[in-house]
Parts: sequence; C-alpha cells; structure tokens
Amino acid sequence: MRTFPARVDPHFDIEEYDPEADLMALNMGPQHPSTHGVFRIKLFLDGETIVKAVGYPGYLHRGVEKLCEKLTYVQITPIFDKHDYVAPMTNEQAVNMAFEKLLGLEVPMRARVLRTILAELQRIASHLLWLGTFTLDIGGTIGGGASLMMYTFREREMILDLFEMLTGCRFHYNTHSPGGNRHDIPEGWETAVKAVLDAIEPRLDEYDALCDNDIFLVRTKDIGVLPPDLALELGQTGPVLRGSGIDHDLRRDAPYHAYDLVNVKVAVDDGCDCLARYRVRVAEMRESLRLVRELLTMIPGGPIIGSKPIKSLVQFKAAKGQVYVGIETPRGELGTYLIGGGDQRGAAPYRLKIRPPSLHAVAAVEYLLPGHMLSDVVTVLGSLDPIMGEVDR
Amino acid sequence: MAVDEGPRNYEHPAYDYLEQMPGLSLAMTTVDKVLEWSATNSLWIFPMATSCCAIEFITAAASRVDIDQIGSVVRPTPRHCDVMIVAGTITVKMAPRVKKLWEQMPEPKWCIAMGSCAISGDFYRDIYSVVPGIDTVVPVDVYIPGCPPNPDQVLLGLQRLQDKIRSQRDGVSTEPETRPETAKMILPANKRVGDPDRDPLLTDAQHDASRNLGVGTNTDRAKDARPIGAITEDEAANVRGTVDDK
Amino acid sequence: MSIYEQLRERFDLPEEPPEGEPVVIPVDQHVAFATALKEAGFTLYVTVCAAHFPSVQPKAKKGEEPPPMTTEAWEVATVLRSVGTGSETFAWRVRVERPVVPTLYSLFAGADWQEREQYDLVGVVFENHPDMRRLMMPEDWDGHPLRKDYAIDTRVAPWR
Repeated sequence: MRTFPARVDPHFDIEEYDPEADLMALNMGPQHPSTHGVFRIKLFLDGETIVKAVGYPGYLHRGVEKLCEKLTYVQITPIFDKHDYVAPMTNEQAVNMAFEKLLGLEVPMRARVLRTILAELQRIASHLLWLGTFTLDIGGTIGGGASLMMYTFREREMILDLFEMLTGCRFHYNTHSPGGNRHDIPEGWETAVKAVLDAIEPRLDEYDALCDNDIFLVRTKDIGVLPPDLALELGQTGPVLRGSGIDHDLRRDAPYHAYDLVNVKVAVDDGCDCLARYRVRVAEMRESLRLVRELLTMIPGGPIIGSKPIKSLVQFKAAKGQVYVGIETPRGELGTYLIGGGDQRGAAPYRLKIRPPSLHAVAAVEYLLPGHMLSDVVTVLGSLDPIMGEVDR
Repeated sequence: MAVDEGPRNYEHPAYDYLEQMPGLSLAMTTVDKVLEWSATNSLWIFPMATSCCAIEFITAAASRVDIDQIGSVVRPTPRHCDVMIVAGTITVKMAPRVKKLWEQMPEPKWCIAMGSCAISGDFYRDIYSVVPGIDTVVPVDVYIPGCPPNPDQVLLGLQRLQDKIRSQRDGVSTEPETRPETAKMILPANKRVGDPDRDPLLTDAQHDASRNLGVGTNTDRAKDARPIGAITEDEAANVRGTVDDK
Repeated sequence: MSIYEQLRERFDLPEEPPEGEPVVIPVDQHVAFATALKEAGFTLYVTVCAAHFPSVQPKAKKGEEPPPMTTEAWEVATVLRSVGTGSETFAWRVRVERPVVPTLYSLFAGADWQEREQYDLVGVVFENHPDMRRLMMPEDWDGHPLRKDYAIDTRVAPWR
C-alpha cells in the first residue's frame, strides 16, 4: 500500500507560518503563457518552495448559464461550442443529451454511431493539442518545447479537416441537435478518416519516445502527486482521475451513444503524478484510434435525426422536471444539470448548470502545489489540462 | 550603407528601398524607408489570448500557416512586442488587465481585434460580465472578423496591418472611424429572443425551421424544410390556440 | 436492494423516487444524507446546482379568486456518483426559504470552489464554509447574476 504525504490545508493562515522565514508573495497570471488562458494563482514562496497557493478563476466568466435561460433548446448548441473550445464536439453532445433526456427524444442508431466516432476523433485532437502545449510549458519556446507542438498541430489539423468535410466548419461545428445530428456523412468521408488514422498511428510512437527522455522524466515524475481519495473528493474525472489509479470511465461504466457496441479498454496508471497523467492520455489516443477503426465498420443506414417531427409546443409542455446527464469528454465528466420549463411557454431551460471537469481539475492546484518548486507550477497546471473557457464559462 | 552589387541580390525586396549609386558598391536610402521596412517586417506579437480564438491563433503560429514567414514572432511579454492581438472574449474582470498590459507596450504599437467577441462581444454582448468589444478599452487598428477567424485570415490581418503602417509612414491619414455609440445603434426589426415584446410565433417558427434542417441523405425532412418565419395560416391559428389554452 | 431503499430506512423519504426529478429532503438532514451516500459508495463528488425561485403570482382560473403569491425559495441540488463498473449518479435537493444551506466541505473537498461559485452566482450562503468569497465575479461586484430578479440584458454598465 502506497503512503502519501499528509493532505495540505488550502485555507491555512499564512500569518501563522514560521515568522523567521523570508516569505514572498508572487502573482502568476492572468496573462501568463503557461496558464493555458487566463488563470491567476497567488503563490507564497519560502525561498523557491511554494508554501501556499490560492487560485483565482473567473477572468473569462461569460455568463453562459444566464444566456441559456433566454434561448430555446435548439439555439443553445452553438453557445456550447465555445465552452471547451478544444473539444467542441463532446460539448455539444453533452448538452444535447440532457435536452433529449428532458424532452424524451430518441436518437437514431446512425446518429449515435456517428456521435461516437466524432467524440473519439475529438478526443485524439484534444489530447494532441494538450501534448503540444504541455511540452511547450516544460521546454519553453526557446528550449525546444515548441518542436513537438509543431508536430502535434500538424496531426490535429488533419482531424479538423475531417470535421470540416463533415460540417463545413473547422472549429465551432453546431452539428448536433436535440434528437440527432444535422450533417450526414458525406461521400468518401470514411476513406479520409481511415487515411488520417493510418497517418497518425505511427507518429504516436514517436511522441511516446518522450518517456525515455531524462529531462522529461525529471520534470514530471513524482511532481504533483494527487492521492486517489483526494482525487475522488475533489471530483476529478477523466485522465486526472485515471492517472491517480482509479479505474473509472463513463464510456465503459455508464455507456451512452454507441459505446455499448464496442469494448472500451480503459487506460489507468497508478503513478498519481504528472507522468501518470501523460501516460494515460497517450494510451487514450491509441485506444481512440482503435475505437474509430472499429466503429467505422458498423455505421448503419437510416436517418440521422429523429423521424418523429417535434411538435415544439407539445414537447415543451412535457419538459418539466430536473435531469442530470454526464458524459466522458477528453477532460472528464462534462455534466449538465437542467431544470426545465423556463420561459412562459416552457421552451427554454429554467436553470442550466454546467458541470465542468476543468473547474474541478484546477481546484486541485491549491492541494498539489505546496511543497514544490516554482518551476513545477507550469508542469502541474499543464498536466491537469484545464481549459479556461470551461472553468469560467 | 554598403551592399554587395551581385545582380541576383537585387531581387530581394530590401532593394526596393535602396537607391543605387552607379559604379560604386554603395547605396543610399532614407532613414524613413529603412525604418518602414524594418517595422513592417518584424511585427512581434503579444497574444492577449483568452478563449477560442487563442487556439486558432496558436494554429496560425504553428506548422500549417506559420506567421513566422512575414517576420512575426510570438513573445509572451508586452515589453518586447509591437502588436497586441486580442484573441477572445474580454470580461469586466479582465479588461483592466488588458489596459495595463497595453500601456506596458513600447511605442510604436498596434492592436488587432481577432474574432467577433473581441470586436463586439458577439452573443455575450449584453451579458453582465462581458465587455462589448475591446475597442471600448484600447484603440484597435485592424479587425479580423470570424468566430473564430481561420488561421490564414490571421495572416491576412497582419498583412493589412503592414499596409496600414506603410501608408501611415507615407503620410496617409489612417484615423479610425469613430464607432457608433451603443445607444445609437439601429435595433433589429425583429425583437431578440428574451424580449417580452417578441412575437412567440417567431421563436416557434425559428425553432421549427432549425429542427427541419434536412441535410445529407435525410431527403424526407429536406422536403419539409421551410425558411424561418414561413408558417401557414392554419398552423399559426393552431399554435395560437395552444398558447391560449395554457 | 437499491440505494434508494437503503436510504429510505434511515431517512423520511417518499415510497417511490419521484419521476423526472431528484428527491427533496429537509435541509437539516442534508449533511447526514450526504454522509450516508458517501458510506454507501457514492464517493465521487459531481456537482452542486443552486436555483432561485422568485415570488410569483400564479394565474387565476376563470371566475375564481387569484391564488396567493408563492413564497420566494432556493433549491440546492447535489449530485454524487459511484465509481467503477456500473457507475450511477444519485441526486437530491433541499428547498429553503432563506438562502442558507450547510456546506459539504467537510465531506468533499471539491465542494469548496463549487459552493463558492453557487454563492457568487445565485446568492446561496453555505454555512460553515471556510472561505465564502466570490469565485467568478470581481470581489466588489454588486448582486448575484443568476438570480431571477437580475436582468439578462444589462444595458447599464460601467464602460458604456
């Protein structure tokens, strides 16, 4: 049984710290290249060791939950593209699944399989971006970190081209709708997907060679150790939770879309540190490649949007109640807590709460940073993979 | 300034700015021209990257588009840079920081608003925490529209900025047009969603139209697709009835 | 035995779980309920969602006296999840007429920021929370934006 150091109390009073010590308060962010957006951390340093860290999110708070209260269910999808702007596909799916559950809509099988393929492709694209920026954080632009970023963006562009083929947009797709998808698979898309997968697969091995690099190992091993019990309490999900050795993945444990048709192998690593989270993400990319290959062979025919035309007012009259739906996005469980019956006709949500995996992830920095050196801040923050659009909403 | 007189070298654009002295390995130019040439071709960028546009901006700096080709380098500190690219939504909490960072940049400096959030606030415009356009905080030279703009359009925006700098140096006035006040903006004829005066039929029709987007092989539904607002008399009466019943 | 039946033995719950919405429990049982769920294997803290229900005048039926105004209320829904194969969520709500609800920080460290966010946006105060500050809005912000009496379109703002 592995023992972990005692849990840090993030609320301890800095005045009570050793009065002899030469304390320094250092502000990091909100404009800092390694905070992945606009996150601010206030660090109290004793020498170069962090004593206390206080996080301040909210520099990108766009009031999306309030905005959703004035829009109808169909109009909300494009807003959700902008939350987690690294994985818009899974965001749309998360919110539309909540609407489908509230309105009682059935999704045709073709749309379900297509959604699964899109989610897995998005996972590869998102993890590729993460890998590029993570090495950029560790290595720095001048220190050689930028070279891997150039390669991962090359592969990510290939996947974005596939999405552009399907939806016409390379970034914010608006392709999901309550009850199905809007854009059917164009001719030749499957062949293009296969070609991209074949191109990416051998290159993943090259990226995996990072693990043999001494500098990379020194910077990540035993850095930012997150014990499994704390990970659960903090509500960590996705690669952060699996990097802490907990075997939990909604794709396998609570299947949605067409995940019950395939056998998802969940990547788990019990290192609990930054290196473990890196390994989980690289393993997930390989698994996603395999899943897309498998799913491409089983796309059924038929419509991609519900055959029953939605009688808007009748549907919405039934849309009372409160539902929670969570799905596994590249960053973890993205949930939507939805209270129906918003405006006078019930066509808008009364209250829509987004459960962002990134907010739970960055909340961990107050526990992870104390005891580490200043240079480890970017490593820890990068390994949590926060997307500030999702943290602040 | 001494240059090598080899004939091949004259193809380099730098020579457009040099006056040749025949018979001598010497060329003369004006300081203005050298300054213009160096300013336009080394626009170092300070990315004020907040949200979605930041990712497209990184893509523009990465392998496919590579804004390095026009001499633009991304530096994360304002003190090294000439151009601030505001990429993403700016909130009330962030706006004072943007102003402060802008003031830290040395002259001459320019600002590019990238994406509709930085230009006008986009659909967050009226939300309590969002600044409706970064030009209410700092002066903007070039707007790159899009949500988000494609990476190659970022390159195009930088080239427009180069054009602007050239014409400024040539003495052409490039004063920005004053932005109409928010209060004076023309309101759309159709009331926006959430407005109590908006016709509920309009929302329903819009809703139905977006539901009936028949795309791809879904031809059955494509036949039924109607433009927004095209709702028949019978249906209108029907819908009215449902509302009143409630 | 389902988790709902296990909980019904200890808490005063309706016979069947309500359809389409989480079960409502009294506010004084909130922490004990969460403790029982955590012991029963719901160890992953998922989310907390507070909602504001303002005082409104319900519509009168034809020829009848208008019913009395509803009282202003707040609802706080909490969602927990069990981990591993067959993972499922359990959600419950507390409904209060004063926006004060006990915190779950002592059980789930993740409740720290989540509850601060709900305080910031909806105005529900979480009792015994170690650090009840605003999370998203600036600290000098006036009002709680997600309350229903807060306008969606704020045309008056400092920069306009």
